[in-house]
Amino acid sequence: MNLLQYLPGNSILHRLNPVAKLAAAFLLGICAIVSQSVIFTTLLIVLLLGICFACGLGKRALGLTRNLLVLGGMMFILQLFFVRSGDPMLSAGGFTLITQDGLSSAVLLGLRIIATMLPLMLLFAITEMNDLCGALVKRLHVPYRYAFIVTTAFRFVPLFTAEFHDIEDAQKARGVEYDGGLIKKLKLSVPLFVPLLMSSLKKVDSGAMSAQLRGFNLRTVSSGYREYPFTAADIGCILLSVLMIAAAAMI
Amino acid sequence: MLRFENVSFRYPHSDSSVEQLNLHIHKGEFVALIGSNGAGKSTISRLSNGLLKPDTGTVYLDGTPTTAIRTSQIARKAGFLFQNPDRQICQNTVREELAFGLKLMGLPEAEIQDRIADALGRFSLDGDWFPFSRSRGERQRIALASVLVCRPQLVILDEPTTGLDYKECTAIMEYLTRLNREEGLTILMVSHDMELVSQYAKRVLVLTGGRLIGDGAAGQIMKDRALLGKAHVLPAQIPALALRLDEGKEKPQFSDVFTIEEMFDTICRLRKKGDSEAGKGAALS
Amino acid sequence: MIRFQDFSFRYQSGKTEQPAEFALKDISMEIREGEFVGITGTSGAGKSTLTYSISGLIPHHFAGDFYGSVEVNGMDTVEVHPEQLARFVGQVFQDIDSQMVSSVVEDEILFGMENFQIPRDEIKRRLESVLEMLEITPLRRRQISSLSGGQKQKVAIASILALQPDIILLDEPTGELDPESTIMIYEILRRLNREFHKTVIVVEQKIMVLCAYVSRLIVLDKGQVMFDGSSDSITGEIELFKSLGINVPRVVELGHLLKKAGLYDGEIPTELDGAEKMVREVCADAEI
Repeated sequence: MNLLQYLPGNSILHRLNPVAKLAAAFLLGICAIVSQSVIFTTLLIVLLLGICFACGLGKRALGLTRNLLVLGGMMFILQLFFVRSGDPMLSAGGFTLITQDGLSSAVLLGLRIIATMLPLMLLFAITEMNDLCGALVKRLHVPYRYAFIVTTAFRFVPLFTAEFHDIEDAQKARGVEYDGGLIKKLKLSVPLFVPLLMSSLKKVDSGAMSAQLRGFNLRTVSSGYREYPFTAADIGCILLSVLMIAAAAMI
Repeated sequence: MLRFENVSFRYPHSDSSVEQLNLHIHKGEFVALIGSNGAGKSTISRLSNGLLKPDTGTVYLDGTPTTAIRTSQIARKAGFLFQNPDRQICQNTVREELAFGLKLMGLPEAEIQDRIADALGRFSLDGDWFPFSRSRGERQRIALASVLVCRPQLVILDEPTTGLDYKECTAIMEYLTRLNREEGLTILMVSHDMELVSQYAKRVLVLTGGRLIGDGAAGQIMKDRALLGKAHVLPAQIPALALRLDEGKEKPQFSDVFTIEEMFDTICRLRKKGDSEAGKGAALS
Repeated sequence: MIRFQDFSFRYQSGKTEQPAEFALKDISMEIREGEFVGITGTSGAGKSTLTYSISGLIPHHFAGDFYGSVEVNGMDTVEVHPEQLARFVGQVFQDIDSQMVSSVVEDEILFGMENFQIPRDEIKRRLESVLEMLEITPLRRRQISSLSGGQKQKVAIASILALQPDIILLDEPTGELDPESTIMIYEILRRLNREFHKTVIVVEQKIMVLCAYVSRLIVLDKGQVMFDGSSDSITGEIELFKSLGINVPRVVELGHLLKKAGLYDGEIPTELDGAEKMVREVCADAEI
């Protein structure tokens, strides 16, 4: 499953202004970083998941959380053994393995990673890249060229992943064995970047030509056909996110 | 050589699938797999070389289930030529590209060099070429050479002539035909180019919606309009002409016509018959 | 409409010392309004280069040595920018997926119109009319990645048509399509040519399809025009075509066979309709 892929839908979340979604995702991320409380961060995650379920995105959100748990878990283990302050909780042969502070900060860090990444990943799931691009240009007056490049880069990711899989298949069919250790796999993957690079360059060039011939360089801020007005829901969503930060800072 | 037993396969996020497939391809056959886009042709070719493993049922390659051996071992028996050579070519010179598969097989250096020299000659390639700056036809030839240099018993060709012009296409097909005839190479070719299929394949499998709906000698299948229609495949030009000539006729006269020669012979026969009947009429009056 | 005068082009070569060969050499020809032109030839013959030089990507996107002149609607392609030409020429590229700039069908069609600052209500009208014209109205909110090859190709053509060009250039539009979708795309091109009076120029390998649809056929070989005539006139050039590595439709071969046997002396057909007539004529007495 591609984590950046857009999931079409018509929920309240989907219908928010893309700029509001972007802002909310960032604000909620900040909220998770600001929070010092394990309980608050846990509640934040539960709240996010709850909203997703309410909007019919539950499956995707759980999938994302599962992926993030791996990352969070890794950070948890690192933090657990690196924080040395606080009362010892577990010792072996006179050597302190885990401390109280270590455990609590490790739990918090793991949860924090999930809570910061989840909104960002949801942003991709509920936002059409074209809309994000259009809204950034219309509402925030971001130069079209940059908005286009960034959003196109994201749009090309699935194309490139598909291409990479096909290239990998082609090599497997020739007898390259990708099973085995990470190092071996990485080493075997290096030659694959040559065909990937070649085909990517071709794809990007053809995309550029096609955009150029349809007047890409003539584009101005007023060009966009779609309007992206802010609604009460958008403003409410941003306000709510700000309130969450305030709450996180106080608890 | 290749045997599918009750094979079913379904992609997790897509409708395309293969259902309850049974087929047997014998050593030395030249088989074409036809059907419209999305009929499951690529799925079958990928099941054949172990890139995909069946959900249920078994695919046997040379008597061994593909689930029981590694993909790299399958690769030694079954070569695979992709539609797009650019996914396969990953080395900086043609020589290294040809050596790539041979090194994976662990052959001694002397043998590798011998085989490369042989392949360069057969395919009129230059070992020092930078593959990526060659034409599409040349890249396809390089890709095919690097598959055949490993001397597989079976090659699977996935739309091998897409993007090739007629000249390159004929050259590649003629070469494969010769290997098939002289060295008993088994060929499974996926294609929707009916001219190509009717010209080269001996046996044709017809696929639609993941099911095999036809299997027989090329001449017989290519004349079966109802079957081709069901598979959304357009007949080659001569069979299509025959179909039009017979349209609405109680007694079809062109139903056996498949090649230009057969069309010509049938026309001559009909004319003779016409002449003799006209002659009879003249005699009576 | 389009005029090539002693036009030659050579791509700028990379690091190599020796200059690249000419991709196109001494092209002098004219393509008139309302023509349906097919361009064929072996790979490396210069077919794509020819399309780039009409749309102005040569010399504005591809650097190289440019000799002679190319004029489109009276404008010299060296002097005007491709964007300006885009109002008259629309090009569909070979790679279906990478030429898309959007992920939703509707947005893809809007893109060009937005760029050219077309008034809002006009955009709406054109959007609906091109969706209608290509029978893709039900697909308008669909993700492009979920479409079949033939549907994607229709979207690409629609996004060009929305700019209302006089000339439509297509580079192997059916290369990855199955025969059914191929016919579907060519039926659309025929309609654009006949009903909407577009000049259509298509690069194609499938000679049988070309013969059935185009009015004029141009064969390139090593950058030069080797044949330029009506698609019916290829019947006299079987040898030339074979020597250039291009096949001729089977019915042409059949016609030649019948002619050689002295059974037929009419026009040799290039597509099925003509072939049917020919065989019926040859077998007239046999009452088939």
